[in-house]
Amino acid sequence: MNADFLDAHLRHREDAELLRKEQHWANADHLYGLSAECGLKRLMLAFGMPVNPQGTPHGVDKVHADEIWQRFESYRLRHSRGALYLLPADSPFADWQASQRYAHRSNFTEIHVKPHRNGAETIFNLIRKARWEGLVP
Amino acid sequence: MTTFDDILPEIGKVLAQENLAKLRPIIINRDLNGRIRLILKESTWKAMNKTAQTKLVKEVSACLGKHKYAPDRLLLSDSDFEAVKQDLMLFETELEPVKQGAPHFLLKDFLPEHFKNLKNLKEVTVVDRLVTETDWSTIAPLTNGPHRMVFFSIKGGVGRSTALAAATWSLAQAGKRVLVLDLDLESPGLSSALLPKDRRPLFGVTDWLVEDLVDNGDAVFGDMFAASELSNESDILVVPAHGLDPKEYLVKLGRAWMPKIDDKGAHEAWSARLRRLLDKLEAKHHPDVILIDSRAGIDEAASACVTELGAKTIFLFAIDGDQTWTGYDILFQHWRRTGKADSIRDRLQMVGAMIPDDEHAKDYFDGLCEEAYKVFCCLYDDIPAKDASGIEFNFEKNDLDAPHYPWPVRWNRGFAALQSLHSRFQDIDDDAFRAVFGELTKRIHIIVDSESES
Repeated sequence: MNADFLDAHLRHREDAELLRKEQHWANADHLYGLSAECGLKRLMLAFGMPVNPQGTPHGVDKVHADEIWQRFESYRLRHSRGALYLLPADSPFADWQASQRYAHRSNFTEIHVKPHRNGAETIFNLIRKARWEGLVP
Repeated sequence: MTTFDDILPEIGKVLAQENLAKLRPIIINRDLNGRIRLILKESTWKAMNKTAQTKLVKEVSACLGKHKYAPDRLLLSDSDFEAVKQDLMLFETELEPVKQGAPHFLLKDFLPEHFKNLKNLKEVTVVDRLVTETDWSTIAPLTNGPHRMVFFSIKGGVGRSTALAAATWSLAQAGKRVLVLDLDLESPGLSSALLPKDRRPLFGVTDWLVEDLVDNGDAVFGDMFAASELSNESDILVVPAHGLDPKEYLVKLGRAWMPKIDDKGAHEAWSARLRRLLDKLEAKHHPDVILIDSRAGIDEAASACVTELGAKTIFLFAIDGDQTWTGYDILFQHWRRTGKADSIRDRLQMVGAMIPDDEHAKDYFDGLCEEAYKVFCCLYDDIPAKDASGIEFNFEKNDLDAPHYPWPVRWNRGFAALQSLHSRFQDIDDDAFRAVFGELTKRIHIIVDSESES
């Protein structure tokens, strides 16, 4: 399947919100991370990130939410509109890992999820802006 | 073939139809590439029946030509609808945040008054995403401090800066403390007129704009002005575009118009930075009046000078020619269409530049006045309409107090070359000065003196 980072960002966020309302903290948390990763990758694509024929990035850009902040920054700085797509200096996903999907649900609480939700929301707002501006269709 | 200017009237026709009149509020979003999308609340969309939804998507898509996403995707069947809808529309919980920070206007103010069913177009807003930060539509309120006067022209080389220097000298001779800013950064030169080389400061506006980006503005602020010795009666303080040695002027200029964004994402547009600089200069130097030389032409830098510095008087220099009138017409129509005419029209004053000083003078001036009147008409109220304050903003063609009636600046060989102005003013011939600049400076004195008295 080809990658569609925009749709993936949106659907992960939508489902994360549904799970959060049901207090399914573990899976909500995981999807906030995926939503963040996909949103930033869609923006990175708009800012010039190269991708393979399936639409996925390669090399140092093949990262998840815990490592994507700096990669986004490197593309943001190169683009003429990048100044208007600033992220907070510190990534809220530093303690998020893809491997946490194997962990017991008791490791996740509302307090754990909150900064990841906020981070995903920040990226969602950048995506909204990019769509209004036409950087992302 | 549909082009950019065709689209809004066509979308207006679609949205004005009775069966789509309830689809409100709605935003027509024009992105950086001129592609168009509709943005509306999800609740508004869901309240529509399927027939109305299909009609909207089909008819608006048909208006857009290439100015939409996936322009080659056709709405041939129901299965295409979802895809076409996604190309055309975005949904938001609330629409107010969509407009923030972007120039926008009501579609009903843009379309002509005779447009069919104009009344159905309330709450239809056009939002523009522009590369430029300024858009000629953000009219800053007047400042409370000293009178700010901006000198603007569509074309360069019409004697704007010379006239500004003359006004400066005249005001100073009358005892006014005058602060002069050269904001024509791309074509600097005003300080050459007012300051001999040995008096030019180390830094200028461009330096401050660059240093300010790294919170280092104070390093240059104290050394970016100099006192001109032109007048013996009062102080003339000149803030040039660059210092005595411009050094890497081009690359500094390439950064001067940057917005300032801090590490928390707070955004300060460069026009706001410019305003902050002006406020600081006022607070330091306490001038009685501030004269600002703007960039010529319809561009971002000029927009900031004319509309965003809270200037009370904006001199519009004009020589009689197509380029001048086309330029001012573009500007005035934009203010009218975006509903900003009321906010700015009483600050404008036409100045007739380089009026011939020979047997052609009267015919030339009459022609200039005629053309100025024509372009200004779109800013005037229709007779007998009155604005909300009950005061009519309308003038006859030959009304000497009308903003369109040009204050003449006559062409004179002696003042033609700006670089000689400094020495020229040193040995000023009062009669020659009056012949060229008398009308302009007399009127400026009236403005400034009437403020001092009130």
